[in-house]
Amino acid sequence: MIEGITLGIGAAFSGYNILMVMVGCFAGTIIGTLPGLGPMSAIALMIPITYGFDPASAMIMMAGVYYGAIFGGSTSSILINAPGVAGTVSSSFDGYPLARSGQAGKALAIAAYSSFAGGTIAAIFLLIAAPQLAKVSLSFQSADYFALMCVGLLAIAAFASKGQFLKAMIMTALGLALATVGQDSLSDITRFTFGNINLMDGISFVLLVMATFAMSEAFMIIFKKKNISFKASDASTKKLGSIKLTKQEVKEIAPVVGRSSILGFFVGVLPGAGATIASFLAWGFERTIAPVKERLNFGKGSIKGLAAPETANNAACTGSFVPLLTLGIPGSGTTAVMLGALLSFGVQPGPRLYVEQPEIFWAVIISMYIGNIVLLILNLPLIPYIARILAIPQKILVPLVLFFSVTGVYLISFNSFDIYFMAIVALISLVLRVIDYPMPPLILGFILGGMMEKNLRRALIINDGSYSFLWERPISLTLFIIMILIILIQVYQGLVKKN
Amino acid sequence: MRINLSRISALIFLLLFSIYSYLAGEIRVFSFDVDAPFNAKTFPKLISYIGILFSFLALVFSKNEDEPVSQFEWLKVFVLFVLVFTYGLIIKTVGFFLSTNLFLIIAYYYLGVRSIKLILFCSVPVVAGLQFMLHDLLDVYIRDPLLQSIGIIS
Repeated sequence: MIEGITLGIGAAFSGYNILMVMVGCFAGTIIGTLPGLGPMSAIALMIPITYGFDPASAMIMMAGVYYGAIFGGSTSSILINAPGVAGTVSSSFDGYPLARSGQAGKALAIAAYSSFAGGTIAAIFLLIAAPQLAKVSLSFQSADYFALMCVGLLAIAAFASKGQFLKAMIMTALGLALATVGQDSLSDITRFTFGNINLMDGISFVLLVMATFAMSEAFMIIFKKKNISFKASDASTKKLGSIKLTKQEVKEIAPVVGRSSILGFFVGVLPGAGATIASFLAWGFERTIAPVKERLNFGKGSIKGLAAPETANNAACTGSFVPLLTLGIPGSGTTAVMLGALLSFGVQPGPRLYVEQPEIFWAVIISMYIGNIVLLILNLPLIPYIARILAIPQKILVPLVLFFSVTGVYLISFNSFDIYFMAIVALISLVLRVIDYPMPPLILGFILGGMMEKNLRRALIINDGSYSFLWERPISLTLFIIMILIILIQVYQGLVKKN
Repeated sequence: MRINLSRISALIFLLLFSIYSYLAGEIRVFSFDVDAPFNAKTFPKLISYIGILFSFLALVFSKNEDEPVSQFEWLKVFVLFVLVFTYGLIIKTVGFFLSTNLFLIIAYYYLGVRSIKLILFCSVPVVAGLQFMLHDLLDVYIRDPLLQSIGIIS
């Protein structure tokens, strides 16, 4: 482990990788600040740029983009009450009233300090938890992996779909179905290509992510007539006020940061829970335990009410790397995109990564510390300038997002078919999003599809075609019970809602 | 049972997964693989059953609410979609630089930007910068007959 950490430190602290973190944090902040574009779009837009990099540098840069996008989302949430991502919605509860009362600078500084503290504390937890879990997961067999992936897909559908479990499951099945297009990895038999040679290698992961997130998001901005630029330019030009915190304020938010870091990290580790649930839980928890007098201030500009979700969402982001790095199973839509990017680099995250490529495993973990420091040092003084990004009108923003999406996909294959296919997928995604079909389960299904088929194949061949492996091994039995529980919870919630 | 968008979409998915199920059954496998515990059909069939099950449940249990869809900008999105499609159609023949600039200029104008200076500022330097970065810094070759003919790129 010490050797691995040393390797990781060496890789993460190389001048080139520090530059990657800085570029990632900065690009992520800018993209995340733009209302409507979240971490998934930010990472998707950065994937084509990282193709020339080595896997460790690419992963480090994408982790920086992730953090930056979350921080950027907080900026639009606090300044104009337009959260770029769901994970920063609860930051607007107290951040926006603070900004309106002339303390925008202070609100943004609290967000930056809390994010830094949450990310750093969670990175320490990750440092301790990840190797332990990686060691345990070495005992996993194909049957257990298959069961684990089923749990991951069910959990994402259940907890990240805003009450649309059935629709999320349909999207999961659609994602899995799309993963079967092309040549079967073992027999080389072509499936669902309809004689089209462009589909022989399957559907490109980058194409699907770009189409369902970046491009469909650009379409959505136009489609829903979201015109927030006037408000944005107003917010970015008015005085932000001081960014200094008093000793009393630091004293007040310190315990909140500690509690929310722990809560955020553990919620982030759970598949499907992620930054959104963590931030709402942290805000709700702090409000509940606050004295009556302070509780009344929540939602009206409480600094505790801002620090709690900001800490928790960053801690959850770090926590979501635990299942990705140790089990190779993404716990959220964003880490699913990262998994897809890693697979396209030829890196298979999971317990073997810890053993076989410790430099990547540890470099990513250590770069999270660096990322948090970079965010604080680089972004805090730049807040007034970052705020100006909000003034970019949608009529300029949308064509640029479309251009970067199309170019990103075209540069990988130099095939015009990919552009047509991408435009069609983006249009279908837009329609599906309008009628509340969530996209993260689709991406997760698509990315896990190949791995699920491989593990199911092994498990079925070992068990002579019987599905009894799901309840014969203790690990898969436990996971099977969790699957049933998730379904029962959904049925129960559905019945309660109906009554 | 009222017909609404959620039910119509669930019905479309039900049909889609039924077709997928049929096509999965039609996948040709090697003769020695037909009775194997797992072959190229197994996983797609499993997915189709899951898809059919959940589409059917969504069809039956969808809320009886009508979602308003009339206030959205369908036409603008469709025009942008056609623009992206056309961009894909001309990118190889016209070349990256010219086709991308045309795409951006038309998109800006269509979405309401009327300042020619702003349109040019947000298109030509962006495309030239990206092309320079790709071609000269990252060694990514982009076919561009126009720039090649005037000797800007080799």
